[in-house]
Amino acid sequence: MWLGKNRRRLDEFFDVEGEKSEELRIVGDAGRVKWIGRDMTRGRIAVEGHAGMHLGSRMAGGAIEVSGDVSDWLGAEMSGGAIHVRGNAGGQVGAAYRGSLAGMRDGTIVIDGRAGLEVGQRMKRGTIVVSGGVRDFAGLEMRGGTIVLGAAELRTGAWMLRGTIVVLQSIPILPTFAYASTYSPTFLGLYAQRLKRLGVEIPVDEHAGAYRRYTGDAAIPGKGELLVWEPRG
Amino acid sequence: MGGKVSCTLGEVTNRADFIIFWGGNPAECHPRHFTKYSLTPKGRFVPDGRKGRTAVLVDIRETPSAKAADIFLQLRPSKDFEVLTTLRALIKDQRVDPAAVAETGLTLEQLQDLVDRMKKARFGAMFFGMGLSMTRGKHMNSGALLNLAAEMNAFTKFVCMPMRGHGNVTGADVVLRYTTGYPFGVNLSRGYPRYNPGEFSTVDLLVRGDNDAAFILGADPGATMPQPAIEHLASIPTIVLDPKVTHTSRLSRVHITTAVTGVSAPGTAYRMDEIPLPLAPALRSPYPTDEEVVRRIRRAVARRPAWQPVDENVRSAIA
Repeated sequence: MWLGKNRRRLDEFFDVEGEKSEELRIVGDAGRVKWIGRDMTRGRIAVEGHAGMHLGSRMAGGAIEVSGDVSDWLGAEMSGGAIHVRGNAGGQVGAAYRGSLAGMRDGTIVIDGRAGLEVGQRMKRGTIVVSGGVRDFAGLEMRGGTIVLGAAELRTGAWMLRGTIVVLQSIPILPTFAYASTYSPTFLGLYAQRLKRLGVEIPVDEHAGAYRRYTGDAAIPGKGELLVWEPRG
Repeated sequence: MGGKVSCTLGEVTNRADFIIFWGGNPAECHPRHFTKYSLTPKGRFVPDGRKGRTAVLVDIRETPSAKAADIFLQLRPSKDFEVLTTLRALIKDQRVDPAAVAETGLTLEQLQDLVDRMKKARFGAMFFGMGLSMTRGKHMNSGALLNLAAEMNAFTKFVCMPMRGHGNVTGADVVLRYTTGYPFGVNLSRGYPRYNPGEFSTVDLLVRGDNDAAFILGADPGATMPQPAIEHLASIPTIVLDPKVTHTSRLSRVHITTAVTGVSAPGTAYRMDEIPLPLAPALRSPYPTDEEVVRRIRRAVARRPAWQPVDENVRSAIA
């Protein structure tokens, strides 16, 4: 591993136990350790504590589970695999690095807590679920895939070209999104079944409410959709 | 993102007939801008000077610059991104929601009128200040304006330029760009440049406490940065090169007084349109220049042996 510009041995910082394996368990606060699980293609990493920036960056397969919080660039430009964070995440979850054209290309990211700015920026495919709220610019310049958010602050879906953002609370809508209809999308029922297997529940009961559908962003102009849950009554 | 479509201020003087100032107050912050470059001078293709130009000011409050503008658009705080995104849609004749537009403090008719005028211009220029780039949305607000300027070139010639403040900040951007390929937020610790604003930009490094020493040249972060960043600066070895005593020099371990560039030391400053201007010193100074100090430090560092990992015995003894 690297400390600044110097390559160092892992056991200089951690007590290392066990044999060579595809199962890795990191115990303790790794909140300042960056690039855990970078480019991983298989196996499983369990972090019992916090993790630093770029966790699972560009990963193509395998699974990462974190019991604590994670910093920025979680699953940035990942193309496969699954990440589950029990705590909160920073900004740029599944996003594209600065200057890069595409963010997350496939895979699944589930965050039980909150997340920061620019979640799913320029993502092309895959699923991001944030059960808590996210800050501004969720789905910024999104090109495809699905983002499910418990709540969101401003400018959700800004400059999106395609893809779907599902929000379970009322949010401010940009002027460049047009209201289309209020309905219960059929595909969301199937999607809810898949999300349930990941431990996430979204409302799909027609008696409980419906989704307001907005299309945009007209500034591009794009064909993305925002589905905002509206309980009945 | 469309990049920055820009030009020199000389081109603005000679060609621009439609000028937008967004989130800035040049009448007070850049007092020579109106008279020397953007509004009143007569240009080769704008022979009538001020009468040949239309000026628009977009801001959240009516500043003294509003008096110099033909049109003043007052929007609600932190609605710049929404307005700019709406303008991007309107120039492409896309439909927008009038009720959502009204929440910005402007009406759809006002924005449509602005778009019509922009499209009729022969040469448009947009100047933006910290009222745009340092409010909620920050870099995305700037990005929205840069994109609008780039997209306007489908209809007419349009350019944009940040109204830079402080001494020679443009110079730092330009030099970093031609030496590393990136304008700021560059990490050279691996021996090659890596760029990631938010991770490697100064304020983020300091707030997270990632660095264990600081070398500050011609800046005063102790006066402008958030408290956690200032506290971290005070807790680590900080070296400041500055001609005067500043908030940062007071909390530093070492303050080296240097000559004032442009007054008692030669140098180069970059204008906001990235034109380098040579500076000739008018006075002599007993103090060394910034460049001399940096070169001497570099020579001294080069004489020291390269850093090596601590020996295992020493490490266990320390533990």
